[in-house]
Formats: sequence, structure tokens, C-alpha cells
Amino acid sequence: MIIRAIQSMWKNERIGLIMVCSSLLIMCLVIGLLLKFQQQTSYKQIRSQGVSLAQLLASMPLTQLVPETGSQHVLQLIRDSSDHSTFAYAVVVDAANQPLTQTAAAGVIIPPTHVSKEPVNWLGERELRLQGNGKKILEFYSPLISDGELAGHIRLGFFQPRFGFGIQELPFIATVALLVFLLTPLSYLLIKHEVKPIRSINRQLDGLLSEGIFNTVKIQASGELGVFMQRFNDFFDYAKNRIDELEEQKTGLLTSTKLLSYKRARVEAVLESLPEAIMVLDESENIMYANTKLTSIFDKPLSELIGERINQFCDNGELLTLISLSGSNRIAKAAAEAVEFSPVSSPEKTIRVMAYPLFSPGDEQGTFGTMVAFRDVTQEITVKKSHTEFIAHVSHELKTPLNTLAMYSEQLLGDDVTDKTFRTEAINVIHDEVERITTLVNNLLNLTKFEIGGMTIDKKRTRLLDLLKDVFEIVSRNTRGSDHVFTQNLPKELSAISIDKSLLSIAITNLLTNAIKYSHPDGRITLAAEETDYSIIIRVSDNGIGISDEDKSRIFEKFYRATSEGVISQPGHGLGLPLVKQIVTLHRGKLSVKSMPGEGSEFTIELAKDAGLLAEAV
Amino acid sequence: MMKRILIVDDEPHVIRILRVALERAGYEIESAHHGESALDKIRQQAPDLMITDIQMPRMDGKALCKQITKEFPDRVFPILVTTSRPEQEHRIWSAEIQNLFFVEKPISTQQLIESLAQGFDKHDRDEE
Repeated sequence: MIIRAIQSMWKNERIGLIMVCSSLLIMCLVIGLLLKFQQQTSYKQIRSQGVSLAQLLASMPLTQLVPETGSQHVLQLIRDSSDHSTFAYAVVVDAANQPLTQTAAAGVIIPPTHVSKEPVNWLGERELRLQGNGKKILEFYSPLISDGELAGHIRLGFFQPRFGFGIQELPFIATVALLVFLLTPLSYLLIKHEVKPIRSINRQLDGLLSEGIFNTVKIQASGELGVFMQRFNDFFDYAKNRIDELEEQKTGLLTSTKLLSYKRARVEAVLESLPEAIMVLDESENIMYANTKLTSIFDKPLSELIGERINQFCDNGELLTLISLSGSNRIAKAAAEAVEFSPVSSPEKTIRVMAYPLFSPGDEQGTFGTMVAFRDVTQEITVKKSHTEFIAHVSHELKTPLNTLAMYSEQLLGDDVTDKTFRTEAINVIHDEVERITTLVNNLLNLTKFEIGGMTIDKKRTRLLDLLKDVFEIVSRNTRGSDHVFTQNLPKELSAISIDKSLLSIAITNLLTNAIKYSHPDGRITLAAEETDYSIIIRVSDNGIGISDEDKSRIFEKFYRATSEGVISQPGHGLGLPLVKQIVTLHRGKLSVKSMPGEGSEFTIELAKDAGLLAEAV
Repeated sequence: MMKRILIVDDEPHVIRILRVALERAGYEIESAHHGESALDKIRQQAPDLMITDIQMPRMDGKALCKQITKEFPDRVFPILVTTSRPEQEHRIWSAEIQNLFFVEKPISTQQLIESLAQGFDKHDRDEE
């Protein structure tokens, strides 16, 4: 409880406590010094009195000092006239230190002493201690000379002044103590008054700190504190202005940062949406940015790419050279070179890499990195290749009959041609080859129209049965002088269906022509049709050379021709079946083939009835 | 003795007309529709000359020539390759295969017969 009270006082009234303690200390110190001064003054007085008295008595004749019995005793006089508080004793001794006469204060036993025989020690003073009460005595002694001889000594003893004060000094001490005691609270109050503005500042600062608002501290103070407070407030104003400025700068910076991140996000979104894989390298060829498409090229996640040097995961020398050339600004701004490579993870792909140096704005010569774009050109190359192959095929297919035509016509023109059989043969060949060219050109034109989307389908309600019969008739009639057996397996009636009559005629004709070409001279060709609830199915079959499984998957490709003897020996350019496929697809029908090598083939076209009706309704 | 000429072409009409023209010029003609069949015939009896097309199924003209060079390193009969772009083809494979000539398509049978006659004459003189 008390400790807590002291702790509380120490906390709140520290200055007061310090002042009380210090005033008490000062009080003790002052009194102590006073007493010490008093003691020293008494000592000096006793000494001066003792020395002069001893000398005075020594100059007196011994007879006066040691009077007859009954006469006035000099020593007695000295005792009576001396201060009783200080006088202890007075004694006259002979040369053998025997007392001749003596007088002493009450209760004092004169200590026996020995005076040296040496003359140098005859005069002096010394400290002694009384027997009994042990009080300290200051003794003065002096030699008594009679007729030039040492007759004895006079010894005067005084009590040594004690440290302390007497009752008579109490009022003085009390006055001093009272003054000090009164001064203490006064000083305390004065200090407290002076400290009051500082406390007010503390309170205001506490409030400011807790509320976080910077305002000028209001204080009424004068003198040094007033100046200090003025300075303090000035500094406060300066700090406040500085904080406001920083806040403004911070807001500006935040806005700029947001704007920058927005711009960056926008640029990244643009780069992300590009079809190319993009990589941005700094001057040291470290990847600063990469879009997600790059991951598939190097088969690594973005986290393992960004920040890495490109040569740590790519060992394609050509590519590294291109990037290094671009980085060193040796490639012109507009014309970035390109290299092509196949990624390790997908060697079937071809990637074209372009490197663009990034020029520093305002400095056309300086670059700050390289942007590298990776474009998958596999498809482009495939298209280009197939385009080239297509041209080569067409050229070949056109040149072959032209070559034959040229050779036969040259032979016919020759003067020595008299062989009539050969002439007939030559004319037939020329006729066939011209037909071949015409078919080729027609097929090519039709296929091209399909491919460029220029083929318009002209669907009309058609009696399919009539169409099939007509086509069958024309084809079988054109097969001159062959022993093929043509069979129709058609129902009596077939629902009318919405089709493009001329296109479907081409498809059926191509299937029938193929059946004739790739069957034996006495082979059987059958055209069949049937109707279900939803569709009409047309079948063209033969018992010819058949198609191998490998060829079955490719016969609908342009210019594809099987390599078997039976196929090679027949003229053809591999465009008939692709055209059939296109026509059936355009009718939203299904084309399928069943075949066994050596046994024959069956091609089936399935046309939906509903689709036709629906199309018509639309 | 009649010179034997082997004609390799996938076009029956081409073989037919060359056969007619060259037989009339006094040559003996063998024919094949593709490289493999031609190789079989050469293995049986080497001709005095071979005329081949390039684009053919199974084994094309270039593969046939390479195979002949491989199988018959000491071949003496010349090979005539019919092509629509003789200069380009010449650049591409003349270094690989020796004793190889290119004839531009369409072939003029008249010119062919004249060239053959000159070629065989020279060949015969060299041998004598």
C-alpha cells in the first residue's frame, strides 16, 4: 500500500519528492558546516588562550606560582576566571615531574605526564585522555626557569571542544531549518508553475498523436519557453506542410502506378491475344516477359521461363544468333530476319521466329531489348506444299495427254504413214485423250468451285428414279465393245427428293465409270437403290479388282491413285472420287465404301429425305 | 543386229506410239509400265538403250536409274529420261548418274529417231 503510494507519488510528484529530499540534505549540510565552524573557532580560542597563558605563567617566578599555604593561589585564580566548560586543570611540576601545586575542575584527575629532559621538548602542546571518563584534553606546557636552571613545568589542560551544539544554539538552528523548509515548497510551487506549459504541451501532443491530426500546439508561455514553443510550432507547421506534400506526392504516385499497371495489363492483354508466342528479352538476353503461348513451344511453364536466359533452355544455334544479332542492333528496324525451327517437344511443327530490336524512345540507335515472335507455320507450309503438289499434279495430268496427242499427231502427219489400222487407232487415241483432258478440266473446275465455295447448289424436287436410269443408260451405252454386264436393281418407285440434278448425275456417273474401269472386261456392274423411312440409298457395285484397306482411307484425296497394277493400267487422274465426296457432302448425304481386294467394291450414297424436304420448305 | 530399246512409261499410249515409231525405224522394242517391271527386264537382258518417264507409280524414273546404277555399276547402255523440264532435271541428277540424257516432252518421234541413229552410229564407231 505504502510502496504503491510512493510509486504513485514518484510518478506524479517526482519533482516535489526530489525537492523535499534535497532540502533535507541541504539542511543537514548547512547545520553540519555550522557546527564544524563553531568547533574550529572554539579550538582556536582554547589554543590561543592556552599558549598565552602558559607563557605568561612561565615568566612568573616559581615562588609566586607555588605560594605558601593559605595565600592566594595563582592557579586558583586562573581556574575561577576561566570558562568552566573548557578549563580542565592547571599544575606546576618540578624538574622531576612531581606536582608542586595544582588545581582541577570537578571530577578531573590530572594525568601524570613526563616532560622530556631535552630542552627542545620543554615547550609545546599535546593531546591527552583523562583517566576515568576518557575525555580528550588539550595540554599546553612551558618550562619554569630559575637562575638559568630548569626548575619545573607549568601544565595547563583544557577540554577539547566537542562536535555538537548547545541548547543556546537551538533557536538559530531552528530558524535556518525553518527557512530551508519553507523555501522547499515555495521552490516546488514555482517550478510547478514553470512546468505547467510543458504539461499542457504533453497533453495536447498526446491528443494529437492519438487522433493522428497535426495541429499547432496552443500554449501560453513567456520567456525561453515561449520562444521554444514558437519554434516548436514553426517546426510543427513545417512538418505538417511536408507531410501534406508527401501525401500529395504519394497520391500522385499511386495514381501513376495504377495507370502504369493498367497500361501494362492492356499491353499484356494485347500480347496475350496475339496468335504468335511472344517473348521480350532485356539487353542481357534475360526473358522479361513471355505470353502463355510460349510455354507450348519450349514445353516449360512461364515461371521457369521468365527471368531466365534464353540459352539456358534453347540450344538452337540459328535462333540464338538471330536474337543476339537483333539485340546488338545489327538488324535494321523494319526488316527483322527470320529463322525456322522445330521444337524438341513437337518436332512435327515448324516455328518461324522473328526478332525485332526494341528501340529506345528518342534514341533511334539505342536498343533496350528484343522482342521475339514465334509463329507456328506448320499449316502454312503444309498448305504451300500441297498447293505446289497440286500444281505439279495438274501439270502432269495435263501434259501426259498433251504429250500423247503431240506424238500421235506427229506420227499421223508423217508422209510414210500408210498403215490404216494405225491411223484408226491414232484417231481413237486422240479422241480419248481429248476427252480425258476435257474430263480433267471439268473435274478440276468443279472441285475448285467446291473448294473456293463458288459452287452453287441448285436443288429441285427431282424424280431420282428417272435420273438413275438416265445416267445408267448413258454410261452403259458409252462402254463400247466391252463384255461388261450391267444390272439395275431399282425399285418401281422412289420418292421425289430435293437434289441438284446435274451434280448428282456427275457423282453417279463417276462411280459407274470407276466400276467399269476397275473391273474385269466381263465384270458385272450393278446400280441399286432403296428407300427407307428417312433416306434414299444408292449403291454402285462391281466384282472388280477391289480396294486395299490402305487405299480405302485415301481414295477420296485429290490426285490419289492406288499403285496396284489394275489401277495403273487404267487412265485416270485421281479427281473422280474427291468430286463425288464433295457433291455428296454438299447434299448433306453420306458416302461410304465397302471393298475386298480381288472381290469388288460397293460405293453407297445415302441422301436424307427430310433434309431435302426441310431445305425446300426453307 | 537390231538394237533393243526398253521403253518405261505408265502411259500405255506413249509406249504404243513409241513402239510403232521406233519399230518402223528398225529397233526392237521392250516395254514396262513402271520401274520394278523395267528392272526385271534389265536383269533378264540388258537393252542397248532405255527410255524412261520420271513420274510413275510404284518405282519412279529416278529411283529406277539409281537402282540400275547400284545393280549394274558397269552399265554401258545409255538412259534417256523424258521430262517436261530437262534443264532442271539435268541439274538435279546428272552428277549422280552417268551416261544419262534428257529428252524434252512432248517427244518428237522424228527427232528422237534421228538422235538415236546418230548416237548409235557414234557408239558403234567408238567401239570399232
